[in-house]
Amino acid sequence: MHERHITLPAGASAQSATAPSERLAGFAALLREHGLTVGVAEQQAMLQAAQLLGPLHERPLQAAWRAIACHSHREWQLWADVYERFWHPEKLRGGVKVSGQTRPSRNLRQSVQALHDQMDAAQQPASQPGQNAAPQTAGDSASSQLDEQGNGTPRAQGGASRTEALHQRDGQMWMPQELSALQQLARQITDKLQARPTRRWRVAPRGQRLDLRQTLRRSVAWGGELMQPAWKVKRVEPPRLFILADVSRSMESHAALFLRVARAFALEADARVFVFHTRLAEVTPYMHRDTPAIQEKVNAVTAGFGGGTRIAASLQEFARQHARAQLNRGARVWVFSDGFDTDGPDLLDAALQEVRARGARITWFHPTRQVPAAGALQRARNRIERFVPLASLADLAAARHVLH
Amino acid sequence: MTTPDQPGQPAAEERLLRERLQRAGYLADADLATTVWLASALQRPLLLEGDAGVGKTALATALAQSQGATLVRLQCFEGLDLAQAAYEWNYGRQLMAIRMSESDKDAAGRVRESDVFSRDYLLERPLLRAISQSGPCVLLIDEIDRADEAFEAFLLEVLAEYQITVPEIGTIRATHIPQVILTSNGTRELSDALRRRCLYHYLDYPTLAREIAIVKAALPEVDTRLVEDAVQFVQRLRREDLAKIPGIAETLDWVNALFQMRHHSLPEDMSAVLGTLGCLLKTREDRFVMGPDRLRQLVEGRRTVGVAENANEQAKATT
Repeated sequence: MHERHITLPAGASAQSATAPSERLAGFAALLREHGLTVGVAEQQAMLQAAQLLGPLHERPLQAAWRAIACHSHREWQLWADVYERFWHPEKLRGGVKVSGQTRPSRNLRQSVQALHDQMDAAQQPASQPGQNAAPQTAGDSASSQLDEQGNGTPRAQGGASRTEALHQRDGQMWMPQELSALQQLARQITDKLQARPTRRWRVAPRGQRLDLRQTLRRSVAWGGELMQPAWKVKRVEPPRLFILADVSRSMESHAALFLRVARAFALEADARVFVFHTRLAEVTPYMHRDTPAIQEKVNAVTAGFGGGTRIAASLQEFARQHARAQLNRGARVWVFSDGFDTDGPDLLDAALQEVRARGARITWFHPTRQVPAAGALQRARNRIERFVPLASLADLAAARHVLH
Repeated sequence: MTTPDQPGQPAAEERLLRERLQRAGYLADADLATTVWLASALQRPLLLEGDAGVGKTALATALAQSQGATLVRLQCFEGLDLAQAAYEWNYGRQLMAIRMSESDKDAAGRVRESDVFSRDYLLERPLLRAISQSGPCVLLIDEIDRADEAFEAFLLEVLAEYQITVPEIGTIRATHIPQVILTSNGTRELSDALRRRCLYHYLDYPTLAREIAIVKAALPEVDTRLVEDAVQFVQRLRREDLAKIPGIAETLDWVNALFQMRHHSLPEDMSAVLGTLGCLLKTREDRFVMGPDRLRQLVEGRRTVGVAENANEQAKATT
């Protein structure tokens, strides 16, 4: 693995001078599709790194690109998978990771791929047949093989394709005015979320209190005259909002609404949004982009999750890994779920307790009228600050007075 | 910055960098070495994230030591401002100079404005000090997530252009581009602008083999058996449900403590282990959870499986 050579740019010989950078552009497009910020500057840096590293061994180049392209922990974790998928699709052939369900999300990538295939096909007669095994085209052909295989076998098409089911549902259509109403609602609720006063002060031009230290410091420049008073105000911290949406099979028909609501809060309150069924994944970056296909993206992220719902495990992972440093007093955790958990009923209680222990306040949004009868939820009832029904926009509007 | 044996051979440069870091007491893995090398080759700052105690700050100190560079450290905190981070005029001295020139009756002693606003009257704070170094320099901006957003914005100029603008003097440019290392614990999301200017590396807890190597390098006099047992124990402990996961520094402390107590392997008697456990577990809850029985289980390698791991294992089984 360490010694395998990769296609860039040493592999790019006379055949086509622009191919490596184009291939890199394809890779960058795939990265962007996964929510990484890879602009022109990053691509240039990646090329530069490839040139600096000279005759290429894959390992260091991969590490260098990772350092350039990733900007956060989430992206860091995502990297290995995306990298393998693009440069070594042949390795994934046997895996179940890429199944029929992810197909819609790969549209852009496939179109880039198709473009490449076309161009390669156009160039193919001119190039020597012996070059077929050249790594430059190996990736392309392997991935197109993969696609063909994906089309051909029933495995890829098998299983429930949640994407299509959701698309066909009539109730999923959202009118623009409904969207703006939701956005406005989110803004109102966000304004009502009580900010946490801290003991700290911050300098402000029009504060109520004299910042004595700063004033004295400034006065030195005036020879000790208090010419420029400095003022300060109490620092308030807006509460951190975390939204965990259940996208398991049982919640299928509500997932669209949940994600819309989550998106509204991601934009207004800078909430971090997670989806879970058997595993937990952060989808905040997708939420910030204006795309109608959020559901597809989320499907792509959650593809490969098994059946069932593991609320307790997801909550625990959330508290221990994803939000460990940010779950503090004043953080709000909103769980959108019906509370039916494949884990044991005690575990949910323990997981919620763990979140509570950090001072976060938990609100449970359920799609049913009544509080769900799920045993796990009943047992953990007193860990949850408030239950709110959420089956439509009207429910959210009704709940806006109790969310603070 | 480094003087490679064979110029133009990145692999050789990288190996050299790794060896030097090792000599300075820091064992970097291959990916990290590549990233550090790339940061100096592209002259970009390096943003390190990771839990407390995984060796983010240690990397900077080791890097400075290995290159014979000056280490300039800026510890960030809430309310950090320009006067504490970049520069400040030494008002006291300025006033004194003016007073003295006034008392001086000679016309020659008259002080001019440009005299008072010169570099002599400028107090250098870490950022300016790093930029005005004449030799190689490593600038460590520690825990950037503790500083305010406003300060982050100011930092952009420094990190992108390696220059600081002082209105009274002009722009001060770096003669030697310092190697900048930023660390963050993730208590606050950093701005995209800052992230995009930096190379990124996420430091995880070391693997078993690496941690053993680290401990052996740091404490060469300790018995190998003790090191291996202790590190294995700490690795297991990290998978437990703890409020504060012990880092490498804690492991070193603990092994050192056991060594000072003249143990040659992990003691059989759990009460002896319990006594030293304060080196590893830093909160009351964690101490409470780790009773003698639980401890024995951990030492022997048995453990009950937590919910999250259960999930992970099941996920692995299904894929």
